[in-house]
Amino acid sequence: MSVVRKFRAPNRLSMLIKASGGKMAKDALAAADLALEPLRAPSLAVLDAALAEIEGRFGKAAAATRGGETYQELYALALRIIDVSGFLPGSCVDQAAISFCALVDNCAEADVWRWDAIDVHVNALRLLRASGLTPDQRRAVIDGLNKVSQRRIDDA
Amino acid sequence: MREMLQAATRINLDKVSVLIVDDSAPSLDLLAQVVSGFGVKTLQRADSAREAQLHLRDKAFDLIISATNMAGVDGYELVKWLRRGALEANRYAPVILVSGHTPPSQVFKARDAGANFTVAKPITPKVLLERILWAAKEERQFIECDSYLGPDRRFKNEGPPIGVEGRRRDDLRGDLSDLAGDNMSQEQINGLMRPSKVKL
Repeated sequence: MSVVRKFRAPNRLSMLIKASGGKMAKDALAAADLALEPLRAPSLAVLDAALAEIEGRFGKAAAATRGGETYQELYALALRIIDVSGFLPGSCVDQAAISFCALVDNCAEADVWRWDAIDVHVNALRLLRASGLTPDQRRAVIDGLNKVSQRRIDDA
Repeated sequence: MREMLQAATRINLDKVSVLIVDDSAPSLDLLAQVVSGFGVKTLQRADSAREAQLHLRDKAFDLIISATNMAGVDGYELVKWLRRGALEANRYAPVILVSGHTPPSQVFKARDAGANFTVAKPITPKVLLERILWAAKEERQFIECDSYLGPDRRFKNEGPPIGVEGRRRDDLRGDLSDLAGDNMSQEQINGLMRPSKVKL
């Protein structure tokens, strides 16, 4: 059995953050929001490009070739959507992409593509990104996606 | 329960040196903007864990914020390496991992790598600032053993798992907490505790 050492580690952050000056948390948050604003348009462009790439490589239109793609590539594209989806608060696009990641994880684990479920996620992402759904309708879409992505291969 | 962020809390990040790591350029840009907005003046960006390792060997940082999913060396491996292989000055630095997909297995992996906290993407300034404050007020001690170096993973002080002998000096020994006998029934307890009339 290994020996365990327990000790108080130095925490410079703790000392520096308490120094006089600085700003109030609400001002820091407002400044961060302001600093993010210039990234809004480029981030949404990244999101749309990732969605287009998913459709182009993993959507129905690519039915003949998509079997040759990798789980990692699709997972990375879904993550890219999550990265920048903070600019669409309330849209549930982030939650749809998280469900997509869970689905791809599930596929990778079983080493079986579930194209029906992938098509549903791609369509849902498009819907959530583009349309004027109500919050309840968006919630219903996410509930449905979560059921689809959490369904195991052996249940399908 | 850790405290929630209060609007009037005063923070000073002017002299805090921060390293941010993400191989996704848009995500790295977002992190940089948020952290700069908080008032951080000394900010080092790294677009891979390998690049981060170069910085961590060379310069002291007060806070590290890293993505988990990265090509090559990922965020978990970076933290494990940091705790043992980086500059002495960086080994105990607070680490916040950010991740787009956070199933329990990934969160446990982050914890077991030695990270202080995990934040789910998309990054929101409020959550990130709150975690930075948590990291600054970190009260957990560090644990070092053959298989782990990082903040104590026991958030609650419940002692070692059942049936396992504690390895820490402050873990209670099993023989101290052994039951002296079977539990008393409620009737027996009532008999001891409830006053009753006695005929003399």
